[in-house]
Amino acid sequence: MGVTCVSQMPVAEGRSVQQTVELLTRKLEMLGAEKQGTFCVDCETYHTAASTLGGQGQAGKLMYVMHNSEYPLSCFALFENGPCLVADTNFDVLMVKLKGFFQSAKASKIETRGTRYQYCDFLVKVGTVTMGPSARGISVEVEYGPCVVASDCWSLLLEFLQSFLGSHTPGAPTVFGNRHDAVYGPADTMIQYMELFNKIRKQQQVPVAGIR
Amino acid sequence: MADVLSVGVNLEAFSQAINAIQALRSSVSRVFDCLKDGMRNKETLEGREKAFIAHFQDNLHSVNRDLNELERLSNLVGKPSENHPLHNSGLLSLDPVQDKTPLYSQLLQAYKWSNKLQYHAGLASGLLNQQSLKRSANQMGVSAKRRPKAQPTTLVLPPQYVDDVISRIDRMFPEMSIHLSRPNGTSAMLLVTLGKVLKVIVVMRSLFIDRTIVKGYNENVYTEDGKLDIWSKSNYQVFQKVTDHATTALLHYQLPQMPDVVVRSFMTWLRSYIKLFQAPCQRCGKFLQDGLPPTWRDFRTLEAFHDTCRQ
Repeated sequence: MGVTCVSQMPVAEGRSVQQTVELLTRKLEMLGAEKQGTFCVDCETYHTAASTLGGQGQAGKLMYVMHNSEYPLSCFALFENGPCLVADTNFDVLMVKLKGFFQSAKASKIETRGTRYQYCDFLVKVGTVTMGPSARGISVEVEYGPCVVASDCWSLLLEFLQSFLGSHTPGAPTVFGNRHDAVYGPADTMIQYMELFNKIRKQQQVPVAGIR
Repeated sequence: MADVLSVGVNLEAFSQAINAIQALRSSVSRVFDCLKDGMRNKETLEGREKAFIAHFQDNLHSVNRDLNELERLSNLVGKPSENHPLHNSGLLSLDPVQDKTPLYSQLLQAYKWSNKLQYHAGLASGLLNQQSLKRSANQMGVSAKRRPKAQPTTLVLPPQYVDDVISRIDRMFPEMSIHLSRPNGTSAMLLVTLGKVLKVIVVMRSLFIDRTIVKGYNENVYTEDGKLDIWSKSNYQVFQKVTDHATTALLHYQLPQMPDVVVRSFMTWLRSYIKLFQAPCQRCGKFLQDGLPPTWRDFRTLEAFHDTCRQ
């Protein structure tokens, strides 16, 4: 797993989500990228059940259970600022058994689906973020395979992002700052997706004019 | 010749046997001549017939005698020894079709030629080292006179010496670690790990570097049996490019008399790749060119360039 950067692309002015995605993919194809199938990342939210909370009225913690089609046999579970667990797909079944402790927040399932592109050693995934039936935003993920230390190749990634995102290039993800010289792993990618989904959830429904 | 090849071959009997073959040939041809000539001119028919038969019998007797002689001698000659002192290349000489496949003679010529070439090159390098272009004091000039005619070849070095050199280089750079193993005979195979950037597999032949393969830090360098995989290429284009550059480097750093200096220079050059993803190209200032970072490192200055930007 190489260093990955997940960011959000704001919807172009006067266009729909679908059209912006098409604009991006056309730019990528002009750059010389090859289409290589599809991808899907989804996320479900769980609350810690009220019965397990101590009497002092602590706020319930939110747990996110995510899947990534890049790792089809794995399931990721993470808390907001806490650790990220990497488990196999039986974890979903386990969550059903743990109904007493973790309750699923209804209608909170959010996912992003789209196409994968390969350009030299870069893997680019452009997806539409949907919550239920409505499209809420656009996610862009860029992975640079050969490098495994985040702090090494941020400038390189930035240059690549600028070449096709133009002015919408994001800043360095927070996970890059946390881990100096540590080997990058899939858990870091899922943390980035979780932050992206939370941001999109808080946004208005399909922003019309350039709200970032 | 006598003591090496013909152990068990009696040379005396051999030459006598060859003479006996010649005698046998001449007596056989005399028989046929006699038959060809037919009967000589004599007074009576009987006389002619008798003379002819007597002559013919004489010739046949001489053939018989020569044949017996030859058989006796051939028993004395004995067999040549079964061992091939020439080993595998001597088996090539058994092929009798010299016109179409003159392999053995060509092999001998090539061997003699390369021996002469090595000898002349050694003499030339000795002379050239005396005429040094550098101003610094060169102790090679002194040792050139003291060097013996048969140069100690650096191709045959004790493995312990190779181990020592490699472990000294290992301690030279903190971010580079070298692990030596000998899975296939005496040639050393090094696994060089450079920081968290890349891994290099170096196949050596005594202290000369033969081949290198560069792979990513997270790629698998072992085969399924757990042995070092020295053949499969990297999955990433950037490391395939660096492998090509490394092959160019090991052809560039050449010094037959001092192979440990060569290995040291190669490792110093390789170490400059610790900043493979961080250094921009010195010529165009950018990080990416066709999706690749600056993969070329100049041999003298160790500056980073894109493959298309280098001079």
